[in-house]
Formats: sequence, C-alpha cells, structure tokens
Amino acid sequence: MDVTVFAQQIANGLVNGMAYVLIATGLTLVFGVLRIVNFAHGEFYMLGAYITYFVGTLLGIDYLAAAAIAAVVVAALGIAANKLIFWPLRRDHEFTILLSSLGLALLISNGGELLFGADPKYVDSPFADEVLDIGAITLTQQRVLVFAAAVVALIGVYLFLRYSRFGKMMRATAQNPDGAALTGINIKLVHGYTFALACGLAALAGALVGPTVMIFPTIGNWAVLKGFIVVIMGGLGSVTGALFAGLLLGVIESLGGGYISLGFMEAIGYAMIIVVLLWRPNGLFSTARGLR
Amino acid sequence: MFGRRTLLATAAALALAIPMFGGLGGAKAQQPPVRIAVIGPMSGTGAFDGQLGLEGAQAMAAVINAKGGVAGGRKIELLTYDDKGSPEEGVSAAKRAMEQDNVDLIIGGWFSAVALSLKEATRDKIVTVMTSSQHPKVTEEGHKYLFRLNATSAMMSDFYSKAICERIKPKSVAFMNVNDDWGRLDLENYTKLLTNCGIEIKGHEFYNRTDTDFNTALTKLKALNPDAIYVAAINTSQGATIYRQIRQIGYRGKVIASAGNMNPKLVELSGNSLENVYSATPFTEDNGAPTMKPWLEEYRKSFKNEPSFIASLGAQAVEVLAFGVNAAGDPRAYDKIAAAMKAQPVPTVLGEVRFSDQGQATQTIHLVQVQKKQIVSVRD
Repeated sequence: MDVTVFAQQIANGLVNGMAYVLIATGLTLVFGVLRIVNFAHGEFYMLGAYITYFVGTLLGIDYLAAAAIAAVVVAALGIAANKLIFWPLRRDHEFTILLSSLGLALLISNGGELLFGADPKYVDSPFADEVLDIGAITLTQQRVLVFAAAVVALIGVYLFLRYSRFGKMMRATAQNPDGAALTGINIKLVHGYTFALACGLAALAGALVGPTVMIFPTIGNWAVLKGFIVVIMGGLGSVTGALFAGLLLGVIESLGGGYISLGFMEAIGYAMIIVVLLWRPNGLFSTARGLR
Repeated sequence: MFGRRTLLATAAALALAIPMFGGLGGAKAQQPPVRIAVIGPMSGTGAFDGQLGLEGAQAMAAVINAKGGVAGGRKIELLTYDDKGSPEEGVSAAKRAMEQDNVDLIIGGWFSAVALSLKEATRDKIVTVMTSSQHPKVTEEGHKYLFRLNATSAMMSDFYSKAICERIKPKSVAFMNVNDDWGRLDLENYTKLLTNCGIEIKGHEFYNRTDTDFNTALTKLKALNPDAIYVAAINTSQGATIYRQIRQIGYRGKVIASAGNMNPKLVELSGNSLENVYSATPFTEDNGAPTMKPWLEEYRKSFKNEPSFIASLGAQAVEVLAFGVNAAGDPRAYDKIAAAMKAQPVPTVLGEVRFSDQGQATQTIHLVQVQKKQIVSVRD
C-alpha cells in the first residue's frame, strides 16, 4: 500500500468529515435543545452558499466577509423560520413539526430554483485553486480553511454552551424545558437563538464548502442527508458525538472509496448507521436525554 | 304574445348559436396547436442540462411559430415534464403526457438511462425524439417511431479517438467516467480505440451520478501517474467540479474532455482548469446552417445562457418534428411523419441530418479546444 496515497485519502476524509460535523452540529443542537427534527436544515446550508455567492458577485465583497455576512443573514432567517413555523407548533405532535420542516425544506429548495435558477454556480474564493503541499499531502488552501474554520467555530460553540449564560439556559432547556421555564428562563428566547446558532453554522458550512464544489439549489438534500447520518451515529442531541461521528464518516468514506470501491462510498454511511444502531441504539455518544 | 318563457328560450338559443357561428368563422385563424411534450431533467443535478435543452427547444419553437407554424398555420406548443434524471420518473412523465395531457409528440432522453426506459413507455405509440443520450441501444433496440439526435458513443469515439491519437498524443491515459450505461460504454470504446494506437491505459474510476466531491477518485488516478486524464461527464456541475479538482489535487498532466460535453457554462465554471483542453462536438456557431442565425438571435434575446450543444439539440428536436409534421400534414399521422423524416436529409440548425432506418441521426462532428476561455473549432 502506497503510504502517500493513504495519507492523502485520510486528509481528504478529515476535511470532508469536518464539513459534515459543521452541518450536523446545528442539526443535533436543534434536536437536543428543542426536540425538533429539522428536515429543512440542509436548505440553510444551501442558502449559506448562495448568499456568499450573491454577496460576493453582486456587491463585490471579498470571500471571507461574504461568508460571515451569509452566516449572519441565514441565522436571522433561522430566527424567522422558528417564529413562523416551529414556535407556534411547539405544543403539537412531533409528526406535525417533522412534516412542517419537510414542507419548509421543499419550499426553500423549490423557491431557490425559481429565484436563483437551476444552473450551477461557483462561489469564487481566492483560496480555492491555491495548492498547499504539506509533506507528501496536497490540499488546497480552501480545504485547509474548511478544516480550520470549522475547528474554530466548534470551539466557539463549545465555550458558548459551557460557560455563557445563554449556553447554560440552552442546556437547562435541553434537560427539562418545563423546569427551565419555572426557574425563569425565557424559553421563547432559547428557541430563537438555538435556531440562529444552528442555521448560522449550516450557512457557514455552505459558505466554506461552496468553493470546493459547484452549487445548485438542491445541494441541501445532500447536506441534510449527511447531517442525519452523522447525528444518528453520534447520538441524537450529542455535540461531541457529532464531532467524532462526522470525522469518522469522512475518513471511512474516503478510505472505503479509495480502497474498496467508489460505488460503495454512499452506502458506507448507511451501513455504519445500521451497525451503530444494532450495537448502541442511542448512538455512539448517547447516555441520557440532554445536551452533551 | 311573447311570454317570459319564450323570450328566455330565444335568448338561450341565441347564446348557444353565436359562439357556434363565431367558432366556424374563426376556424382558419384559431387552429389547435401541435402539442409537444419535453421530458427532461428539470430538477436535481442534471437540471441545468434540462434547462438548456428546453431553452433551445423554446427558441426554435418561437422561430417556427413566427414564420407561421406547421401543417398549414398550427402553432407549436411545448409542455414541460420533469424526469429528475431518473428512469422511473421519465416513464411516469411519459405516461402523464400521453394519457392525461394527450400530447401529439414527445421530445426526451437527455440521459441514456432515462432514454432506455422512456423508449419502452412510448414504444410504437407516439413519435419520440431523444436528444443527448448516446447509448447505442436507444436506437438499436428502438421502435418504429423512435429517433435519436446525438451521435452514438461509437460514432463520436471513432472520430474523437483519431484526434486523440494524432493530435493530443498522450503516452498513457487514466479514465474518470460516470457510473451509468453511457459512462461504462464510453470507457469500453476508448480503451479499445486508444490501445489500438499504442496509448497505454493506466486505469479507471467510476463516480456516481449523485457525487458532489471527487477528491477520493482523483487521488487514486493521480497515483497511477498517467500522462493524461480523460473525463467523461455529461452533467455540467459535476464536470466543472471534476476539472477544477483535477488541478486542485496537484495533477499537472493533460486533461481530455469526453466528446459532446463541452459547453460555455462548463468553461465559465471551471476557471482556468479547462484551458487547452480538447473535446469533440457537432455544435459550432459558424456552421453556416440557414436556421442557425435566427435561432441564435432568438435564443440570446430570450435567455441569459450562452447557446450550447445541448440547447442546439433541443432546437433540432423541434425542427425535425416540425419537418415531419409539415410533410405528413397531421401531427398524429405517425407512420407518415416517421417515413418523411427517414426519407431525406432534414435541414436543421446543426446542418443536414440523416436518419437511419432505426432512427439514428448522422451529424457532422467537429474537434474543438478551449483557448482563452472560448470554445473554438480546430480546423486542419
């Protein structure tokens, strides 16, 4: 076995995996705190990529600033989605919420097709074609940026959840919403910024991954699928679980595609879900209800 | 003595009679349109290709309608259906078009996998023109009303392999092909043809039609150290990602694009990574065909995309059907339409096209190259 190729495939897998982690963290937060399975999560990823593209091409703003703007705008859209759909439905049956999120997903992706056009677009980044040789491994600056920015974002999320007042309110809501409300926590506010955080992270993922591929209005389907695989594997509601499961999925896909068969690559995620669910039905990192 | 009842009855009779006479008087001007179903990938990863083909067809329909339509003044009306790039969706779209919407003719078959099942749904029932699919079985196992415009993989590869052997001259090649009927057949053809002229085949990878990232596959191909990487990608967004990622993984050798899959959007999306890359295509704007100019004008006026090969196939599909309907005088006289289309060369936007007994078109193919982000014909 060629060591260089092996190392390269591991590096490819880690970068892809980190993007999965970024997508899945928002998905798992919304589930962990609010018990909402949000099928529209991938669409916020798509919007993140498109807003980065439009802010960059129409306003001429540089890539990094455009990505930051996209994350903020989509976080605001997340708050709006919560206000219009998820908050009013919070007392309804979970199937109602699930179907509403599916409806929202279809609305955004079809709306995107109408608004942005079906033609693929390319998010221009000055780092996309700059090749970095790290030892025997070749990565573009953009792919290094995906990894690095995701690490920074995740550390930020960790510190926020662990030490900030808002983070503590979120964890309290995750453990027991009624109890949290009784102690004076504003549950409506927690709903709002959980969505803002989750959608902002999804948008950031879209803005970062955008320049490594082409974007089109249905890329959200791909994102939400990968997100769910990671969330189920890592344990619903577990942020640590999402981190390990995401990286694991990325590396195993890359090695599986590299050494077994590319046709098998897509199937690996689903096969891993089955194995994990048989062996640890609550996911790799699940212990009890709540944010971990 | 006119009772209220009599008055009402007279009024009712008049109300019924007036539109009848009006209808008779306007029959010449208000003939029913000829309804053509366009069944293509309007959503999903192939959506852009579907859109381009549809735009091409719409522009040509507008050109023909402006000149008075077909079969003595009937307008062409296009109805759009989404096959989502999947064979099952294609079949259900064809059934809806024929049974519910009662269309006269069908255009479809962007991707080979869809064309292969679509032809069974329309077998011997309705005149069907397949556009860009290249799998030979589409026409080899076609039916009496089936036509296909794109050159088959075999016709393209005969022409293009010669150009690769004589002009591009790589010492060795590795293949990056889409994992579908067309991609597998394309690999088989070129492996044989390039081996015959002494080019070493280093290996191949198949990627899936739903993949968005190709680093894993390209890393494997780069490790084989080939002189050239040959890319067979129909889908514009996947193609552009592959061409970019080939350069992003640090590969510095030659890149060869599969025949029939070079378009302005691909060049735009691929940045500098397509510079000097060759391809082969039946579409060049300067081919001198009489309908090329009005079609280009109409297309540029109505749509923001650049005219492309796939758009010209959409246009050609409408043109050959219009020719058949004009010759037969009736969009439902399928035997007459099919016979007329096969009897003589049909003048189209891509020059004269001849159909074989199986309905396979013979098109003129040109070698093209990307130079300074423009697709230019390479002439000897």
